[in-house]
Amino acid sequence: MSECYLRFWGVRGSYAAPHESHLGVGGNTSCVEIRCDDHLLVCDGGTGIISLGEELMAQSALSELMVVFTHYHWDHICGLPFFQPAFSKNWTIKFFGPGDTAKDIEKRLSDQMKAPYFPVEIETWMADIQYLEPHNNGLAHGPIGISYYNVHHPGVTYGYRMQVAGKSVVYVSDNEVQFLKTSIAKRIHEFDEDEHELLERMVDEQRSSEVSAIEGVDILVHDAQYTPHDYSRKRGWGHSCYVDTVNLAIDAGVGCLYLYHHDPTYDDEQVAAIHRDCLQIIRERKSDMECHIAREGMKIPL
Amino acid sequence: MQTGKPIIVLVDDSAAMRAFFEQVAAEADLVFHAYESAEASMSFLATRQPGLLFLNVMMPNRDGYSFLKELRRHELHASTPTVMISSKDYAQDRTAAKELGVLEFVAKPISKKAIRSLIEKYLGAGHVAG
Repeated sequence: MSECYLRFWGVRGSYAAPHESHLGVGGNTSCVEIRCDDHLLVCDGGTGIISLGEELMAQSALSELMVVFTHYHWDHICGLPFFQPAFSKNWTIKFFGPGDTAKDIEKRLSDQMKAPYFPVEIETWMADIQYLEPHNNGLAHGPIGISYYNVHHPGVTYGYRMQVAGKSVVYVSDNEVQFLKTSIAKRIHEFDEDEHELLERMVDEQRSSEVSAIEGVDILVHDAQYTPHDYSRKRGWGHSCYVDTVNLAIDAGVGCLYLYHHDPTYDDEQVAAIHRDCLQIIRERKSDMECHIAREGMKIPL
Repeated sequence: MQTGKPIIVLVDDSAAMRAFFEQVAAEADLVFHAYESAEASMSFLATRQPGLLFLNVMMPNRDGYSFLKELRRHELHASTPTVMISSKDYAQDRTAAKELGVLEFVAKPISKKAIRSLIEKYLGAGHVAG
């Protein structure tokens, strides 16, 4: 009997939030496990990967995994220096993320462990560490097919689309949707009347690109960091307002949306309020999309 | 064919953005080539250096930074004057562009008036209609 699942190990954005008021949702930063029998794919290495590493060290059935990084901002890599399998010679670990070469990926992951920022460098990693070269046609980890695309976040940042156990899963931890649309709205006075039609085409192109990347997927894990009020103050920080996220997912015909990359200042009740509002939007739009809060420890069968 | 007119190349997957430039170029005294991807632009850039290259950042398959890094390794494009254009109006993207030696990073949307100003700024006056 095949066992495939997705499990959230870290769901916070920006920085860890280990406060009692936040632990119903979870305090660790980005890390998602996708498991298909004896194949393990990990999305991002935030603080959530530390507990995953501890669990992996307590078993012996598995000794190989792949980690794909959306980008190298701290909240997505800062658990890696504490990821125990990397320090064990019994393990084989493949790393992939943005970069023109495998060397680029190695440099970006290893720099955070250089003195004076960390006591030991990657030379202390005893595992068989492999950095993967870019694959424009996608990657595979056993039965898990993986493709990636650029998303709207500072620097080069990837969204990942996985095909596993007959289901499509898209992981987009950091993405500011509808950014160009709001830039145009703010600066429309700079344009002549005869340019407005082209501006509308630009907005349509952006929407079409955002929708096509996630169109019809079974499971979407997506940045929904801000409330409308906070987004109005933090537009340009590279994250989405949950209203935009849920509307995008409905437009794209997503089966099930997991609200992800929760703001570290939001406690359990504030995240619950975001969820309630998302459900209201879904009802008002007469969509049958499922929508859940991504919670640390939550395991979703695939 | 050598015309003596300045050559401008735009690499951008946005058809609307290409249309903005095409409308400016139609009224200008210059040669204009637009490509929808980095790969497509190599049909020209492999052997020719434009007077000014406008390059988008976020494109399918190949982002603008990765492409410009590759171009910079070629002698022909080590110093090709380049303006990076992007909807990604973020400090980190401006820094990444600067490190690749671009003349300027311009946030989208970009009006026809702004395109004309950029061309005049870097190629001199007299090539575009006012």
